Amino acid sequence: MASDYLDLRAEAITTGDVSQDSLYQDAADTYGASLDRLARAYELDPDARRDLLQDIHLHLWRSFGNFDRRCSVRTWVYRVAHNVATGHVIRQRRVRSRLVSIESVDTMPGNDRGELVASQNEALDRVSMLIQRLKPLDRQIIVFYLEGMDASSIGEITGLSPANIAMKVHRIKNVLRRWFGEGEPHAE
Amino acid sequence: MPSELPMNDPRNIWQNQPTEVFKMSVNEIRGKAQRRRRKARREALLQITIGIVVCAFFAWIFARAHDETLPRVGLGILSLCGLNFAYQAYRWIWPGRPGPDAAVSSSVEFYRSELERSRDYGLHIWRRAGLTFCFLGLALVILPGVIHSLNSPRLLLNFVPVLVLLAIWLAIFFPTRKRRLRRLQEEIDELRGFEQHGRS
Repeated sequence: MASDYLDLRAEAITTGDVSQDSLYQDAADTYGASLDRLARAYELDPDARRDLLQDIHLHLWRSFGNFDRRCSVRTWVYRVAHNVATGHVIRQRRVRSRLVSIESVDTMPGNDRGELVASQNEALDRVSMLIQRLKPLDRQIIVFYLEGMDASSIGEITGLSPANIAMKVHRIKNVLRRWFGEGEPHAE
Repeated sequence: MPSELPMNDPRNIWQNQPTEVFKMSVNEIRGKAQRRRRKARREALLQITIGIVVCAFFAWIFARAHDETLPRVGLGILSLCGLNFAYQAYRWIWPGRPGPDAAVSSSVEFYRSELERSRDYGLHIWRRAGLTFCFLGLALVILPGVIHSLNSPRLLLNFVPVLVLLAIWLAIFFPTRKRRLRRLQEEIDELRGFEQHGRS
């Protein structure tokens, strides 16, 4: 597993065998695509997204100088990335004031988008649109869910209890089912 | 193949979306970090300079005004406000102080602390910017003029637009600020609840 290998490299950083630069490079190689998707979850504008991604990598590189192995490299990478992106959302005060929780989206009437999407791009746009409406914490959880992470990993990164995560994931599944007909057979 | 993915599976669609390769090398990132630090320092220096110029300007007028005591006191206060502005810029904007640790904190903790920072900034902006003293200084400078103009109501009319604008600003500023702070506090309380639940 790439993450196990990274944890071994991280162990070596404390003994001085591996440098901050090479640990960052390994993490960027392993999680690069995931970080790119994460930036898409926080910023739709391509130029602003590129800036955000640069920011995330910058913080990541800097943070590995203080890496103390209190958590796995994966947890560390996702915490840094999501926290930097959360800071990005918080700075956009006007945007932030319009964000809602997943509970609100789930209970909103007239929000059913059950009609099937025609193309993958349309589906991706729809996911992105849903994510962009959410408050940072709910946004993180839906991104982790879409990335296929389990509840305990989400809990370790976010600091939420398993019960809270289970409740949020349940809501997310409900919303996705309504917006995509997830889990239902796809009609051609 | 992405095109063969079922359209009703958002997880697959999300994970198989096209991504760009991040092209910056470690050296480029290091260079960018240094450039950013220099830029932040330039911005802080600009604000400090503005504060010092304002301080010097009012001090100069203060030194040249010999007639009335009240406006001179006002000018002295305004000069000190400029100095306070420069000091606050140094204290809050000057780069080098470590920011919130993005990696050690969990997401809930980080998000809450950022919201608290935002709330505290909103709560203390009045004091931090020394606005009370700025208004006091301005009042002392213009008050003698207002008192003189009481004898001729036509001159008093000159102050009406300023007073109307000030009243409108105050009527908008305080309720908006109060509403924003209330919303922030609600969100902070909700996150605290999550944190406590997470610990128990």
